[in-house]
Amino acid sequence: MTDILFLAWRYLAHNRVKTAVLVGSIMLIVYLPVALRVLVTQSATELTARAEATPLLVGAKGSPLELALSSLYFSADTPELTTHAQATRIADTGYATAIPLYVRFTARTQPIVGTTLDYFDFRSLRLAEGRTIAMLGECVLGSRAAEKLEAGVGDSVVSSPESVFDIAGVYPLKMHVVGVLEPTFTADDEAVFVDLKTTWIIQGLVHGHQDLAAPEAAPGVLAREGDRIIANASVVQYTEITPDNIDTFHFHGSVDDYPISAVIAVPHDLRSGTILMGRYEAPDEPMQILKPTTVIDELLGTIFTVQNFVVAGMLLVGIAALATASLVFILSLRLRKREIETMARIGGSRLRVAGVLVTEIAVVIGMSVALAGVLTVLTARFAPAVVRVLLLQ
Amino acid sequence: MTEGRSTMRHLLCALLILSIVIIGCGSKETADPQAVDQPPTDRLVVATVNYPLAYFADRLGGDLVEVVFPAPAGEDPVFWSPDTETIAEYQAADLILLNGAGYAKWVERTTLPASKMVDTSAAFADRYLEIEGTVTHSHGPEGEHEHQGWAFTTWLDPTLAIEHARAVAAALADALPDAPQAEIAERLAGLEADLTTLDERYAAAAQTIGDEPLLFSHPVYQYFIARYGLDGHQVHWEPDVEPDGTAWAELGHHLDHHDAAWMIWEGEPLDSTTVALAERGITSIVFDPCGNRPTEGSWLAVMQTNATHLERVAESIAAES
Repeated sequence: MTDILFLAWRYLAHNRVKTAVLVGSIMLIVYLPVALRVLVTQSATELTARAEATPLLVGAKGSPLELALSSLYFSADTPELTTHAQATRIADTGYATAIPLYVRFTARTQPIVGTTLDYFDFRSLRLAEGRTIAMLGECVLGSRAAEKLEAGVGDSVVSSPESVFDIAGVYPLKMHVVGVLEPTFTADDEAVFVDLKTTWIIQGLVHGHQDLAAPEAAPGVLAREGDRIIANASVVQYTEITPDNIDTFHFHGSVDDYPISAVIAVPHDLRSGTILMGRYEAPDEPMQILKPTTVIDELLGTIFTVQNFVVAGMLLVGIAALATASLVFILSLRLRKREIETMARIGGSRLRVAGVLVTEIAVVIGMSVALAGVLTVLTARFAPAVVRVLLLQ
Repeated sequence: MTEGRSTMRHLLCALLILSIVIIGCGSKETADPQAVDQPPTDRLVVATVNYPLAYFADRLGGDLVEVVFPAPAGEDPVFWSPDTETIAEYQAADLILLNGAGYAKWVERTTLPASKMVDTSAAFADRYLEIEGTVTHSHGPEGEHEHQGWAFTTWLDPTLAIEHARAVAAALADALPDAPQAEIAERLAGLEADLTTLDERYAAAAQTIGDEPLLFSHPVYQYFIARYGLDGHQVHWEPDVEPDGTAWAELGHHLDHHDAAWMIWEGEPLDSTTVALAERGITSIVFDPCGNRPTEGSWLAVMQTNATHLERVAESIAAES
């Protein structure tokens, strides 16, 4: 048996290039469908994990997928906006903790996520350095946001205008970085977290400006009629919140009328969640409530369907490649006719000669499968990191 | 033949080592760093924005709660602004009691956990009184808007103070589901009884005072005046500041159509002011709103002293008539 193995090995070693091509081809035929399945499964796990960790989402009626992707991954277009009254509505039911989100603005490429401190507890976000947000105009950066914006505690980041053509829009807000979060390998790493009220400042709904009753503001005042002061647009509005001007920042009207993009509802128990969902069943209800897992499962269903087509295609290619490999082996036998005859003449029985040839094929297939196995293990090992990076791009 | 076997052995070894490396390179658990939230304490930590709420929380919660009211002595909590360390204290609390009615504007400008905040006047928001002299202004594309303001010293009406106390009790009961609820209810009943007695004393004194004109040194008595139907006029004097000529002139103007013989102060006025007022036939008394912790006694004790002072006014008016 050793001599058969030796002869087969020597043949393969002598024809290194041919062997390498065969091993590489068969290895890819085995590895690619398996690796694709591993990566897709891992992607599904990552997507589902974030969705499973978010019990319920409430937002204005519109695309459920947009609402879920915007609220979970801070990607996709901003969904239909609603008002803060919806967060109050959920909190007032007593069935769930309401965590409002306003995901609309960016600081360069990074999403600015306006929320409350409850979000940090909800997602178990931990500070790598600094402290959490305490005042208007402060922000906490996710780990990758800090890298991409090249900012740390003590630095500043500036909100980006929604449109370069929005010349009548509000000025960008300079925000102070007071903390950087530890990596979580989720969308939170990409975010610039601010207080909900800071996003309203970015939008220009909450603002600070000169005291119009003060003499310094006189050039900007058009008219005074009793308690009514009319000023022109030259009134200085602050684009950075400092201890000196923070007291001038003010709201107009009720906070409940201010915009948000979604509310994460965290029910106190299963029953509370069911009752809460029932509250949004009315046909004239302008809001939608959804379980993110349902939306993500639908999305994954589509991904898996596409994956099945890809795998089927790969299998067809694989069959063609195997047929080609078989052809290579058959042609190889013809080319080796004299070699086979020589082996017979020096005393090799037909069985032993056939053994050598079969062993050569077995070694090639064995090496291909072993290599594919090693690559699959490597893929499975590093898939979470790869998928997280890919998903966060 | 030996060379071939050696090559095979090398290949097998390489595969074995590769397998060991793959299996061995597992991710290491990171050390548990400092969490954003603070470690829990045994007692419920309740932070408040003023002293009346601190008093209610302390009285209703007893040993179950640790009340945090960090405004420095001598500061008016309504205009005080905490620094970031103090804000962190509020953030770390289990429950944050707000007065509502726009009290403590700093809350709007800071980041506090929404799920822990309780507006203790939300139940009677429709009874807020608007501050006179609201400024309306307009500028830029958003057009005209008002800086509307509510009177915020709600607790000076004991019936509203009872509403505050009920909201505090409900918040404590929610936050302490395993605590003996009957105990909290019993304490609430005791506090409500004290506040009702206070209301009766105020009401009796106010009935005697009737429509006798009164001056109030500061615009913080709106709810008190409204509750008891007093003929009160509020000026804007500080007890520790000597009124200037303009202030006296304005007072004279007020007295022309509001002939008050009593001026009710937030704190003890300067002797010189008391004398100057007395020369104009105005007697000074103190009715402390007690928004911050008093130097001695409790909030209820201060309110009872206020009642005593008001009763003196009533007795004096009754004697004169």
